[in-house]
Amino acid sequence: MRPKDVVPEMQRTFPDSVLEASDRQGILARVRIEPRAILPICRWLRDVAGFCHCSLVAGIDWVETREVLYHLWSDEMKVYLELFAILPSDDPHIDSVGEVWRGALWHERETWDLVGIRFDHHPDLRRLFMPEGYQYHPLLKSLELHEPEELEVKARHV
Amino acid sequence: MSEMWINMGPQHPMTHGLWNLRVKIDGEVIVDADPEMGFLHRGIEKICEYRLYNEVVTLMDRCCYVAGMSWEHLYMMAAEQALGVEVPERAEYLRVMSAELQRLGSHLMWFAAFVQDLGLMTPFLYGMRDRDLVLDLFQAYTGARMTYEYMRVGGVRNDVPVGFTDRARRVMDWLDQKIGEYEDLCDKSDIFVARTQNIGVLSASDCVNLGVTGPMLRAAGLPRDLRRDRPYSVYPELDFLIPTHEGADVYGRYRVRMEEMRQSIRIVRQTLDYLDRHPGRVLAERVPRFVGAPAPVPGKETYVLRRGYPKGRGFAAIEEPHGEATAYVVNEGAENPYRVKFRSPVMVNISAAKSYLVGYRVSDIPAIMGSVDICVGESDR
Repeated sequence: MRPKDVVPEMQRTFPDSVLEASDRQGILARVRIEPRAILPICRWLRDVAGFCHCSLVAGIDWVETREVLYHLWSDEMKVYLELFAILPSDDPHIDSVGEVWRGALWHERETWDLVGIRFDHHPDLRRLFMPEGYQYHPLLKSLELHEPEELEVKARHV
Repeated sequence: MSEMWINMGPQHPMTHGLWNLRVKIDGEVIVDADPEMGFLHRGIEKICEYRLYNEVVTLMDRCCYVAGMSWEHLYMMAAEQALGVEVPERAEYLRVMSAELQRLGSHLMWFAAFVQDLGLMTPFLYGMRDRDLVLDLFQAYTGARMTYEYMRVGGVRNDVPVGFTDRARRVMDWLDQKIGEYEDLCDKSDIFVARTQNIGVLSASDCVNLGVTGPMLRAAGLPRDLRRDRPYSVYPELDFLIPTHEGADVYGRYRVRMEEMRQSIRIVRQTLDYLDRHPGRVLAERVPRFVGAPAPVPGKETYVLRRGYPKGRGFAAIEEPHGEATAYVVNEGAENPYRVKFRSPVMVNISAAKSYLVGYRVSDIPAIMGSVDICVGESDR
């Protein structure tokens, strides 16, 4: 597949789930997708379009909504593709893409830990950096940097 | 024998930093592994949101303390894209020179720590000695050996001093000669070869699916290197090779890193030639003022201009000494970034630990984890 065919093919295959696509400097495209369709789109991107490497999963807190974004890399086309979905911030959750790229599992743990986005069907959605029992998600805008925190940390393992 | 979990870490000679490798063993054989991170989490991404764009540089040096220059370069490229700032060409060459010197320093540090894990003391001392020569070069033009704070939005802080290029060439000649010596020391040691070959095997397809990058991926035979595949800065003008190995084991990773050091020396030499021939600016002429404006003097708070940039997002990806590192900077028009996100190659390489540890023996763990080249500051951020 040629780089310029990826987005049109994506729109043709998933007409209801690919919401918008825009050009981005340094990246093939920035594609907004419907959160429900994340797994079929990711499988298609890996198997048909050749995006073999999931470079990054990250979350951004926009206060009213939360954005989850995926950076994918193709070894054949040598380009990055950015997928993103907008989730409601009262219950942000999306399916885990761990079954497509196992490397995404820890990125999803990190995103849950720091931005509070839940990944459904994740086999092991524990916190990655913050201790178990920590109440906050540090990268949320509602948590100020120097706000005193109540830390009640359970011991990790005995 | 019954299975049991043991903790290797957070304080263990193998960890090279603060993290905990929990392994489940059956007798001597590893049956499961669960790395535990977060002991060094300092919230760098959160602190970035409270700082001016230039003030983040100090954090980048502390992000990865053996590859500070690479992380400064990464962040600066993303921030400049988010802000729309152009960089003079000489500054780009200085950055690439810094990044490659850093790769040398980082790989030498890795080499020293790795061979010591295997019980070879002499190469450790040699590796540390030669890393100091690289640090001396950093000290000559940045003033610091570890936390450089050298790059700025729009270029670099200062040019190299008079006579630096000749001095750097002498160091490169010395290193070029010494790397062959290290290889002799290791390859001719039966202990080294026996303890590194055919352990920690991770095939290329597993590497790709697990997101493993850098020398580990290239040691499995896949020549992915962002300096070549997605050229950034002035790498397209430089001449170098991407070393690979077919072994996919610990020995292959050692071979790839040794060869990468040679290629870095080649790149540094080319940048030094450029610096000799092309004098010029090292910082862009027009840089938005409050990118790095000092804190306001009490009583004169209007000193810092409260003016916004056009919104933008910056994305940069570099081949760091440990693998593929990316930075994502969201600029919402304020003087601080709205969100900064880094991809740490070390974190992903550790996350795959189960895949390259299971089936090997406990005594192989230092060799295998040593070959991953772990920098916990970078993985925990």
